[in-house]
Amino acid sequence: MSASVLIGYFDSEEKVLDATRAVREAGHALHDVYTPYAVHGMDDAMGLKPSRLTWVCFGAGLTGATLAMSLQLYTSVVSWPLNVGGKPFNSFPAFIPVSFELTVLFAALTTVAAFLLRAKLFPGSKRAALPRVTDDRFAIAVAPGTELAAAEEVLRRHGAVETARVEVAS
Amino acid sequence: MSSHVHEAPPAGSSGGFEVGAGVRRAALVAAVVGLGTLGAGLALYPERALSSLLTSGFLFLCLGLGGAVFLALMYVANAGWFTVFKRIPEAFSAYVPWGAAPLLALVPFAPKLYLWARPGVMETDHLLHKKAAFLNVPFFGIRMVLMLALWVGFTWLLRRNSLKQDTERTEALTKRNVATSAVFLVLFGLTFCLAAFDWLMSLEPHWFSTIYALYNFAGLLSSSVCAITVAAILLHRAGALPQLNTSHLHDLGKLMFGFATLWAYLWFSQFLLIWYANIPEETAYFIPRMHGGWAVPFYLNIVLNWALPFVLLLPRPAKRNPAHLLRVAAILLAGRWLDLHLMVAPANMPDGAGLGLYELAGIVGVGGLFLLAVTRAVRSAPMIPAGDPYLVESLHHHT
Repeated sequence: MSASVLIGYFDSEEKVLDATRAVREAGHALHDVYTPYAVHGMDDAMGLKPSRLTWVCFGAGLTGATLAMSLQLYTSVVSWPLNVGGKPFNSFPAFIPVSFELTVLFAALTTVAAFLLRAKLFPGSKRAALPRVTDDRFAIAVAPGTELAAAEEVLRRHGAVETARVEVAS
Repeated sequence: MSSHVHEAPPAGSSGGFEVGAGVRRAALVAAVVGLGTLGAGLALYPERALSSLLTSGFLFLCLGLGGAVFLALMYVANAGWFTVFKRIPEAFSAYVPWGAAPLLALVPFAPKLYLWARPGVMETDHLLHKKAAFLNVPFFGIRMVLMLALWVGFTWLLRRNSLKQDTERTEALTKRNVATSAVFLVLFGLTFCLAAFDWLMSLEPHWFSTIYALYNFAGLLSSSVCAITVAAILLHRAGALPQLNTSHLHDLGKLMFGFATLWAYLWFSQFLLIWYANIPEETAYFIPRMHGGWAVPFYLNIVLNWALPFVLLLPRPAKRNPAHLLRVAAILLAGRWLDLHLMVAPANMPDGAGLGLYELAGIVGVGGLFLLAVTRAVRSAPMIPAGDPYLVESLHHHT
């Protein structure tokens, strides 16, 4: 089963922002917007909810901190206590540097990995790129199922240089 | 807080923002009453009054210097986002010549505050007598005068070039400030180290820590970004800065968050090495601070300066909410005072000294002086630097 996505191509940042807002306000559902670089104000124009990536980062950071603390506590207090400079086996300040490093490492790597997975950017990904959106074109994709003919009219009216239909697996 | 962009006012349309007479009168009364109380304290309890003067004098001088450092960092980075509120750090930097006075006032009373300045100490103390060539009152005073003169000169130059641009409208003035800032940052890095060692670390002349100045520098950055944020929000609320938008606040919030964490990193770097090595000549600094009357403020310091701000500023909406930023900035500024109080006061009051009359007098008195200088600077120059080539970029700032 496949469905048709409507694509409108634009040649400037202002037009794509304007058209994105217009398509949404006309009641059509956006599939996505593709731009060669991050366009300021796009989140707002698309009506996106705040990213959930921050929670991935927070969770991974907490996991890193917990793992680092538990590992150090287990190894230096339970499994193999060593007397280092007469300090107590459970010496909290000594555990902080490793916990800090693992918190940062887990948070950073997990966030990047989660982003790449969510955006389907990994080796073997079958995701196709629209022509020229990595170069000098901005593209709005309108989700299948909406009134595509009416949406096409809105895109044209807001300065689309070209429109097209692309079949996607639904 | 408006998120849309307002038009810049026409060139040379206005003088500065008229800060309410009530605020100025309150600042004057605070300065007179606070400094007067400290003056009386000199006779009654000199160690405590002088400790308070040093703590508050240094705190507010750092806010003034922090304004100039903030500007210099932005200039050398060719940043444009801050231009809309650059008159605030400039007004802070105008406090530097005023802020020199409380510190210079300490010099004649050095023996009450500094162990090394007391007669007979250097000759009999084996660990100290080799430091006598450096730690003596005349040389201490000369160093202080030279450092303060250098800072007054540079902060004056940066602000003058910026104000001149309001009428001259030439890019050359921005370029000149970039060059001035680069030189200032290098010289400031060196002289600020010396100042932190001289004025604060030498309170305990047997003890030393090489990271001490950097740790103080992180406190300077954190507290001055907080003060800039507070001033920006208050001036916006008073209608003086309608162009300030949520994105400017968001970036200031990020800097508060980042510098608070830098402070924690450096605080801990100093603590960890001393705790680990456990050498008596180094632990002598922490032992009185971690026990007895100083124990509670010692742990509270980390909560106020890092733990609370870190948690409170972590979510994105928190950094975009002016009321929330005001609260966190207040916590961090209180934390900065406590941090300095913990550096200064235990040297002469090892059993503990809370937030008493003299401490409040110092904060209110020097704070009043700071407010007087800053409101005077705000009134004397237009709020929006109409001739700055980065102004348009700043008005459209969007994160």
